[in-house]
Amino acid sequence: MMLRMLFDKLFTGSAAGSVGLLCLLLIVVLGPMVWRGMGAVVFRETVEFRKMQHAIFGRGSQAEILRETEQVDGLRKPIYDTFDSFAQGIDVDKQLDRVREIYREYGDSLRQRNTPADEFTQLRSTAKTIRDRLTEALETVDQSEAISLTLQVLEMEINFAGEPQLAEFFEIARRYKKTVEGIDPGHRQEYAELLREVRDAMNTLFGPRPDQPKPPLAEHQFGATRWDLVQRDVRFLLYDEQWVQETPGQPLQKKLIPRKQQFAGTELEGWFDQIELDLKSLFRPRLRIYWQYFFDDSTPGHFFGGVGPEILGTLLLTLLAMVVAIPLGIISAAYLVEYGGDTFIIRIIRTCINTLAGVPSIVFGLFGLAFFVILFGRPCILAAAMTLALLVLPVIIRASEEAIRAVPSTYKEASLSLGAGRFRTFMTVILPAAMPGILTGIILSLSRAAGETAPILFTGAVFLGPMPRSLLDSTRALPYGVHGIATGDKVGMTMPHQQYGMVMALIVLVLLLNFLAIGIRWRVSKKLRGY
Amino acid sequence: MDIRKPNVTILQPTSGADRVRSEQSKPVAEFSRPLLLSPGQDLLGYVTGHLGRGTLFVITLVSVLAVFLIFWFVIREAIPFLKGESLGQTIARLTEFLTGKNWYPEAHVHPEFGALPAIVGSVYVTAVALVLSVPVGLLCALFLSDMAPFSIRQAIKPVIEILAAIPSVAYGFFAIIVVAPWLQHTFGFSTGANALNAAMILAIMAVPTIISVAEDSLSAIGREIREASYALGATRAETLLKVVIPAAHSGIIAAIILGMMRAIGETMVVWMAAGMASQIPSPWWDLSQSVRPMTATIAQEMGETARGTVHYYALFAIGCVLLIFTFGMNLISEHFMARIHRREGGR
Repeated sequence: MMLRMLFDKLFTGSAAGSVGLLCLLLIVVLGPMVWRGMGAVVFRETVEFRKMQHAIFGRGSQAEILRETEQVDGLRKPIYDTFDSFAQGIDVDKQLDRVREIYREYGDSLRQRNTPADEFTQLRSTAKTIRDRLTEALETVDQSEAISLTLQVLEMEINFAGEPQLAEFFEIARRYKKTVEGIDPGHRQEYAELLREVRDAMNTLFGPRPDQPKPPLAEHQFGATRWDLVQRDVRFLLYDEQWVQETPGQPLQKKLIPRKQQFAGTELEGWFDQIELDLKSLFRPRLRIYWQYFFDDSTPGHFFGGVGPEILGTLLLTLLAMVVAIPLGIISAAYLVEYGGDTFIIRIIRTCINTLAGVPSIVFGLFGLAFFVILFGRPCILAAAMTLALLVLPVIIRASEEAIRAVPSTYKEASLSLGAGRFRTFMTVILPAAMPGILTGIILSLSRAAGETAPILFTGAVFLGPMPRSLLDSTRALPYGVHGIATGDKVGMTMPHQQYGMVMALIVLVLLLNFLAIGIRWRVSKKLRGY
Repeated sequence: MDIRKPNVTILQPTSGADRVRSEQSKPVAEFSRPLLLSPGQDLLGYVTGHLGRGTLFVITLVSVLAVFLIFWFVIREAIPFLKGESLGQTIARLTEFLTGKNWYPEAHVHPEFGALPAIVGSVYVTAVALVLSVPVGLLCALFLSDMAPFSIRQAIKPVIEILAAIPSVAYGFFAIIVVAPWLQHTFGFSTGANALNAAMILAIMAVPTIISVAEDSLSAIGREIREASYALGATRAETLLKVVIPAAHSGIIAAIILGMMRAIGETMVVWMAAGMASQIPSPWWDLSQSVRPMTATIAQEMGETARGTVHYYALFAIGCVLLIFTFGMNLISEHFMARIHRREGGR
């Protein structure tokens, strides 16, 4: 007996548990997508975002943006300058070329000045000594030797005060001395490598440098447009991410090495802390509710901008499908209720409707490709909408049939007994009474059509493309966009919020329609209970 | 049935009207025209009535036409792939298609069209999805029909509806962006896009279908049978397992088949989450391997195929297999549904 009761309790518990699991699943599935998707609309924008909005969508005042850009660029310039001079310092090949060039030019100028022969020889040989010392200093990989050699060069500066051509020798020597005091020239190559990484990180963070030409792709034209992206990207500037194998046989482990440590002792060392401290003034974050996300066009690849064309395309496809499917569906349902007995033909029709409801959506896509696309000549909105119409037709028929059947027969009998004809009875009595139910079905199938991807894959949806000009053009659509943006790895790596934003837009659209349907049904059932 | 009865009598004008007339010796009220007209009296009305009915019938036939067109066009495009010069060749091609393990449709020298990995992939993820979803779905249906009070039922229904309403591509997005990295991290799979991932998501998608159909059939089993069982001293678990479920078995089978159809016909989730590797998992229980079901194969390759090539026709042949598969399951589920309706009608 105990065992039986225990089993009973366990059974009830597991049933309640599975319902709980279902609710949990709903939260787990929807939660991250909606929450992170909201990040595409509500976020902290940076100055780069304002620049982007102005350049692409013409929003914001030009004067304000120019002023802000100037201030931010003023803060960024010293950073760029320091990094540039450091880069020049360790770029030995360029300096060697320059040193040889200076020597040649000096010789030429001496000859042009018609310097007396003995003076010429003397001056040239001294210059040659300086050149050789400097070359040696640049080429050596020993730190102390490089320093002493540059010192020797600098000592000779006094002798050449009157020679402007040679002034650059000493400039190079001074700069190189500074560099060499900070770093070991033996590790020059490694520093150059690290510096390249740092500069790449700076490019993603700050955008292209103002003194350099604008990159052709819009995705490269701006730095981190959002505060969360700033915080993500600044890590690549401040830390070096390395995958190291600590114990053999184990998977690689991620390790963050501070750049400050890598550039310790150089003039760059302090700047990393400085950037971290100044991050707010470098980017000027501000809270933004980017409601235009739902209306804006996007740059190719969805790096910036919104999902306007996708939403428009989805609405166009869905509404067009509905225009075809609703009359067909309601009339079919009316026929099935009013005239449908249990005859052979009706049974065939019902089997066909059930079959249509069971056909996989990808097969609808194949059919659309083999029939509608050929019919209209190319993949286009019309072909995709017709395919969707066939897909939702059985849904509408079933829902309408149920709604019409649910109208109490007394309504109909009353109308008929008043002398109204069948058609009039249906139009004025049954249809209005069944309307809320039919409407619920229509809205649900609308949401189904809006979310279907497979039927429109080959019949008229594209991931990237211009706005459609006619119904014979293909269009972007939310569901296909979600697929494209989820499987396209680059936008996911650089702009995750754009991924989540698109799927959020789709889910919100579909759920709004569903809530509307649930609301209508709830009102109707309340009304019915009220009687 | 009872809805229709009154108008059937009204609509038989000749005999019905005569009878009404003869029974009433004197009309109660004066009508400007007779209450019911014979076809001869109201030719226009008679003709328009039948014309209207005919029009409605033709419009209703659109769904029939659609089904036939779908079958016709999908099969028509599949035939060039299967048709050989002779019967023997056709059979050889069909055998290669259904049992071949290599799918190299674009190979220059010797393209191979073995769809077995795709068919196995579809069946595999569907089976796993059913193993996960049927117990949960049935328990939920039992909870809703037999255990939950009205208010809780009202609160749970929207949850199930929303689960059913989330677009498949959103589930696919969830699978590849959220679940795949999680699987990879937690279980150390070489890839998160694998059969387990796809099957889990398909299970979530099939559960609402299973619940709604199963709950309908469980509710259709009357109170009497439950009360009889309780009266004999059975606990709730015993009543449900030994009395209610056996009584509702045809509806439950129909629910499972419908859930299966939902899973096998699903494209976006398996395309995004199953990993797109045309292989038969070996060992067979290794769920961490990637597969490529039929729907995903079509979705992936149709966009890159020129119309009229063998590859194009081969993809239609896969569509054909899918169509026949679901059509067969549909007929089975209809058979079981018809049994429920018969019983309801008889009760």
